[in-house]
Amino acid sequence: MPLTDADLVARVLVDDDHHAFAELVRNHQSPVRGLLRQLTRGDIAAADDLAQETFLRAYKNIRSFRGEAKFSTWLYRIAYNCFREEARKRKELVGIDETQLEAEPDPQTIDPALRQDLMHALQLLPLHERSAVLLCCQNGLSHNEASRVLDIPLGTVKTNVLRAREKLKKMLAAWETN
Amino acid sequence: MDERVQEDWLDARLRDEAAYIDDAGFTARVVQHLPPARPRRSLRALILFCITLLGSIITYVVSGGGKFIGAEIDRLAALPILWILALAAGCGLVLTSIATVAAFAKSREEQLG
Repeated sequence: MPLTDADLVARVLVDDDHHAFAELVRNHQSPVRGLLRQLTRGDIAAADDLAQETFLRAYKNIRSFRGEAKFSTWLYRIAYNCFREEARKRKELVGIDETQLEAEPDPQTIDPALRQDLMHALQLLPLHERSAVLLCCQNGLSHNEASRVLDIPLGTVKTNVLRAREKLKKMLAAWETN
Repeated sequence: MDERVQEDWLDARLRDEAAYIDDAGFTARVVQHLPPARPRRSLRALILFCITLLGSIITYVVSGGGKFIGAEIDRLAALPILWILALAAGCGLVLTSIATVAAFAKSREEQLG
């Protein structure tokens, strides 16, 4: 029977077991790296560096994981904090301007091959909406869990998810008709 | 109440787009950067036990088979009762203080996590 996250965390805590921690990394690397790739707008190298930093921080602070939330939710929070710190350093925290997003898509600027691409549409969203929709709709977190990860009020998460979904549907529909 | 977003085609497409990312050596790179592992707790306990045992044997041998213990008990027994009571209370106080300090230190360590 495979060990649960709680069993593996216990082994890391008690015996500082690197094999148990490696198992945790293997189990969670895909969603964490996927989220960071979306947050960094597809910069794979930067996303993987941040993912590595996320897991190293998780290892160093594993005593602060009390099992109140899921291990994956705790990891997402660390990953999001790593991304924000890095974004602050690069001053790239602010997403695309609202007026740009509301404007009609210019056929010259949008690659026709990307018009149906949901991932491309996601990258056009501002960070606060992108992160909310990614966590809730792609990674299956509840609004409450996303609120803990993003460290923002529950109502704000709901608003951001709603707005992001409306914008995505609008963008995809507009690209389809064009 | 479940706060999950109601399922629709957009959610389905978002989940479909989230392809599994192959590990491709990622886990190995993370493990390589971990600080060296502490010795296991059971190993630490064994080391402490062996050191204590060795210390006790050396003390027993050096003190001539522990004869001094009997001599000191005789001396203590000869002391007035009030002195013995004061000595016992003093020992209790010292042990209680050490245990309290250790408990506070442990509790602080747990909080800092």
